[in-house]
Amino acid sequence: MAVYVKDLIRISHNWVDTHTCDVTTRGWILRLLINITASVVYPPLDDSCPSTTMASLSEEVLLVLKKVRQRKQDGTLYLMAERIAWGPEGKDRFTVSHLYSDIRCQKISPDGKAKIQLQLVLHTGESSTFHFSNDSSALTDREAAKDLLQQLLPKFKKKANKELEEKNRMLQEDPVLFQLYKDLVVSQVISAEEFWANRMSTTNTENTLSDKKQDVGISAAFLADIRPQTDGCNGLRYNLTPDIIESIFRTYPAVQQKYGENVPHNLTEKEFWTRFFQSHYFHRDRISTGALDIFSECAKQDEKGNVTHLELYRYIRSGVLNVLTAEGLPKEKKIGGKPASTSNPNRTGKENSNSAIIKRFNHHSAMILAAGSRRGDAPNDQASETSSTDGNSRDSDLFQPPIKKVWWSIDYLDLQREDGPKTVALNLKKSDRYAHGPVPLESQKYTTSQDIINSITCIRHEMANYVPNLAQVLTSSAVSSAIAALSPGGVLMQTGTQQAINQMVPSEVQGELKHLYIAAGELLRHFWTCFPVNSPFLEEKVVKMRSNLERFQMTKLRPFQEKVQRQYLSANITGHLEEMLQTAYNKLHAWQTRRMMRKI
Amino acid sequence: MSGDRYELNLLVIVMDVNPIWWGQQAQREPEFTLSKCLDAVMVMGNSHMAMTTTNRLAVISSHFQDSHFLYPCKNWTGGDGAWDGTMDEAPYCGDGKYELLSVANNVVAEEMKRVMSTTEMKGNSTDTLLAGSLAKALCCILLQKIVTFFSAGQEMKSRILVIKTAEDCARQYMNFMNVIFAAQKQNILIDACVLDSDSGLLQQACDITGGLYLKIPQKIALAQYLLWVFLPDLEQRPQLVLPPPVHVDYRAACFCHRNLIEIGYVCSVCLSIFCNFSPICTTCETAFKIQLPQMMKSKKKKLKQSI
Repeated sequence: MAVYVKDLIRISHNWVDTHTCDVTTRGWILRLLINITASVVYPPLDDSCPSTTMASLSEEVLLVLKKVRQRKQDGTLYLMAERIAWGPEGKDRFTVSHLYSDIRCQKISPDGKAKIQLQLVLHTGESSTFHFSNDSSALTDREAAKDLLQQLLPKFKKKANKELEEKNRMLQEDPVLFQLYKDLVVSQVISAEEFWANRMSTTNTENTLSDKKQDVGISAAFLADIRPQTDGCNGLRYNLTPDIIESIFRTYPAVQQKYGENVPHNLTEKEFWTRFFQSHYFHRDRISTGALDIFSECAKQDEKGNVTHLELYRYIRSGVLNVLTAEGLPKEKKIGGKPASTSNPNRTGKENSNSAIIKRFNHHSAMILAAGSRRGDAPNDQASETSSTDGNSRDSDLFQPPIKKVWWSIDYLDLQREDGPKTVALNLKKSDRYAHGPVPLESQKYTTSQDIINSITCIRHEMANYVPNLAQVLTSSAVSSAIAALSPGGVLMQTGTQQAINQMVPSEVQGELKHLYIAAGELLRHFWTCFPVNSPFLEEKVVKMRSNLERFQMTKLRPFQEKVQRQYLSANITGHLEEMLQTAYNKLHAWQTRRMMRKI
Repeated sequence: MSGDRYELNLLVIVMDVNPIWWGQQAQREPEFTLSKCLDAVMVMGNSHMAMTTTNRLAVISSHFQDSHFLYPCKNWTGGDGAWDGTMDEAPYCGDGKYELLSVANNVVAEEMKRVMSTTEMKGNSTDTLLAGSLAKALCCILLQKIVTFFSAGQEMKSRILVIKTAEDCARQYMNFMNVIFAAQKQNILIDACVLDSDSGLLQQACDITGGLYLKIPQKIALAQYLLWVFLPDLEQRPQLVLPPPVHVDYRAACFCHRNLIEIGYVCSVCLSIFCNFSPICTTCETAFKIQLPQMMKSKKKKLKQSI
């Protein structure tokens, strides 16, 4: 017979709920029940076996199935909170025990077969088969076991594979990372552990940030959505779903408080809600009724939150009041006296009800907004909640002495004397330095005065006899050499070809080069972060990285270079990569020689 | 460009006629002297004016004494209106040339002779006043721009071609940079054709204003280079395969040695650049404290090992 311990506990809860009203009594009865069931399930102690004894069990047993055969032996199958175990009949120890996280999947024999079996396949590939041999309830037993496993296995599976899933997700999301992984790990330049070693630490922090999803807020129309349906006989039916109840509690913490106080001691839930909807608290006009209404206190608390004349008087008392904007202040001669009543007797009834409705709307919206922002905060008391809906923190103001408040209110930053940072006076001694350009101070050529005189006379002489001869300006040989120099590939056009290298090689080759750069960059990053070499781990890593780099050069870089050179002639696009790798080798060599010297 | 009748194009050629350099050049290379250079410039000017009727030309000579407008020139005895080429008495060339071109050539020749004949070595400076010539060129362009805009309502595009021979003068640096930035603001190109030694200032000028810098390997083919590279104007240049832009050295020079440095120390008060750290800035005399990295101990260790 299958004994569901959990069911038992649930049944007992229900019974206790309906039959007792005292919390302590209830708890005592439950504890008693658990002990009774535990003694039924847990067999007596036996110390003689080395494998897992049932005595060491302090875990919760979820299901016990008798007459289950395993390897042609009769026994009992136990499903616990974290593992499944089977012990032969008559013995007190488990011969087979598997953690749920080790189980990959479960299999059942098809329905038509005579043998009713359940097979557990582990991650390692092993499997255990259990044959349910109870004549009357074999099928139900197996179904029970299968259902329970179906519920439990997914929970444990997540923990085991979470890391792998994480890695897969990262690879899928970032194509660059995926390419890098392919280049480095798949081609066995570096091992997978090294690849993930640097990455996992950075991504764990990112994930925790991304896990914070936004909380769903409260719909502003939730109260209106509870559309009452007429009951047929002059009554109204209100349909309350748990969502609506939750929204009401979040928006009106006063109601939640009342609920906590009254239910289930004084009123049932149904009665509570009936009273809620009946109360004028809920209705539009909110004209206060007798004190019997438990919700009248809520109304009074809400009133506190409204911005009324009360607030204005508080400001006056604190000495901070802008007289120009204080319109509509009722004329009171004594300003330090009691606050005026909230309703002016001169107002008509309709105005009163209009203002009341508007007040209700504003209050309702304010409560919804406050509920959204209140989430995540520690539970506040009523006073601070009402102040948070106003957006003011008046309490701190009220505790200051009045004169200080006045000074504080008239103190503006702009009116103060400017106290700028101290400056240094600039006095330049040799300002002609600025006028000198990036040209050497003295010209390289030195001309003697005799040279100068000679040159001038020469030129004068030449110019005196000058006649323009425009037909003989150029010789054809000079011109053709000039044209050759100016043509593409000529002397003067050399730098142009270097810039057009990206037009010389097609985009697939450029893409491959980019991948090479990314992979090389990753390896070089690993390499250079090892310096300064402080620990033996880093020493090993440095040497390993050097071999990785060499392998990368052999397997990836050289073939690419050869391919490019074969097809695109003189383009040397991998020169820079070679340079970087060579620098790394030189650094390692220098470090190693220094180490040798130190040892010597 | 060629189809737009209403757009003027002004080319200002600034020629470096430093007599000292040219005199030495005449002794070095007799086949390429100032005469040949002048011929080549005239060919360039003629070609420019022959492209469209709305093209204008100006030639300035840059000397160590002064900068002088060779063309158009007020000293021309043929009267005013040198721009339009309308003369009272045009000298007869005899070869059926477009009169504007022949007038221009003659004017340039005459003026050059006069400039050279009045050359005197007064002061110590033997540097070409290039910055001044460029400034004059800019003024000429600006004046022409205003005149054409208000008289005929036409837009004017202009560029400056500098033919440089002698070396840069360090003292003209500030003025030079001011001229360059002014030209950039006015969208005036500065092209440079360098005959002898590379000029960093002109490289900067060409880079900033968007012009072309070319150092010519063969001086005797100057006319060919001028016509090939510098004759096309801004709109045509992208469609031609011209020499690529030169890599410009924008490094600053340190204030103490005038060496070009890439990494240096800058005083935060007066922004003067030094190549070595000194606790007091020599320009503004503010004192600095700098924390040297704490490497003293390990350095000592290394020294011991190497010994």
